[in-house]
Amino acid sequence: MGGHLSDAEYKSQVRAVWKATLWLSIITIVEVVAALIWPESAPKMPLNIFFILASLLKAYFIVGEFMHVKYETRALAITILAPTIFLVWFVIAFLWEGGEWLNLREYWGVIDPNAVHAPTPADHGHGGGGHH
Amino acid sequence: MASENAVAQGDWGGGKSPFNVSYGKLMMWYFLLSDAFTFSALLISYGAIRFSSPYWADPNVAFSKMPFMGDANVPLGFVSIMTFILILSSVFVVLAVIEGHRENKAGVMKWMLGGIIGGIAFLGCQAWEWTHLISHGNNIWENHYGPQAFGMLFFLITGFHGFHVFSGICLNIWAFVNSANGEFGRRKNGYEMIEKVGLYWHFVDLVWVFVFLAFYLL
Repeated sequence: MGGHLSDAEYKSQVRAVWKATLWLSIITIVEVVAALIWPESAPKMPLNIFFILASLLKAYFIVGEFMHVKYETRALAITILAPTIFLVWFVIAFLWEGGEWLNLREYWGVIDPNAVHAPTPADHGHGGGGHH
Repeated sequence: MASENAVAQGDWGGGKSPFNVSYGKLMMWYFLLSDAFTFSALLISYGAIRFSSPYWADPNVAFSKMPFMGDANVPLGFVSIMTFILILSSVFVVLAVIEGHRENKAGVMKWMLGGIIGGIAFLGCQAWEWTHLISHGNNIWENHYGPQAFGMLFFLITGFHGFHVFSGICLNIWAFVNSANGEFGRRKNGYEMIEKVGLYWHFVDLVWVFVFLAFYLL
């Protein structure tokens, strides 16, 4: 879409871009700080839910503002965004499946259910954990 | 038959985009949608394999080194810088798109150059990160932080994303050259090509949000 922008439109567009940038930066800083200060002993679930919601918020700013979807016609926004609903099923189905693989491997004794910790740096000589 | 009834009585006859965008931009969007599913498949595979492992890497341990800082422990420090570089690069390209709407060639070139430099800086950081990990014995066969799959998926997915960054830089350079030599200025649709390559570039930034989430945060 060509055409000239008025000075007022130009200024408001540039301002909107920097505002979205500020939000993206703040969210990223909060995420990293949360990752660092979250106590080792606390349950990870609330933190992980926060990370996922914060990432979706960042995606909103990138798609809406930078990729301009907020200003496109409703029909275009729907044709782009509606198919991503399949991802909800995709995530749930395959994470569920992954959990089930773990259950099966423990049930059949393929892996030791007590080996639930990563190798420590002291284990360097043994070359990591994965032996398939 | 009155022409205003044509729409109500007949099929849509074409000639005007119902989405109010050009064919090229719409097709770029559909390509990005398909690419989003490709990346989703990779990241969801990562999730499924991670859920099937009895233990996994701790990102605060695996990603805690910075260039020029030796063995100093800076969890997530370097990757945060990489994230900011990519966000800023994306911002520069948005500003190039806005200058394109004003047909301001110098403005387009200035911001596009910023976007290109940001992209190259990001790739340089990734090269350092890979080199550091590989030279310390972390590769697709073994790593010190988690199961073998952690290393394989890390190099597969960040590599696939890095390749998108690389191709995005090539597109941005091509768009910069065609702005500089006046090619876009002569076109009937002006600097619309900046919008199309810009969409691709923002998509690379969008994917990084979720790569960052999967590997460095969760």
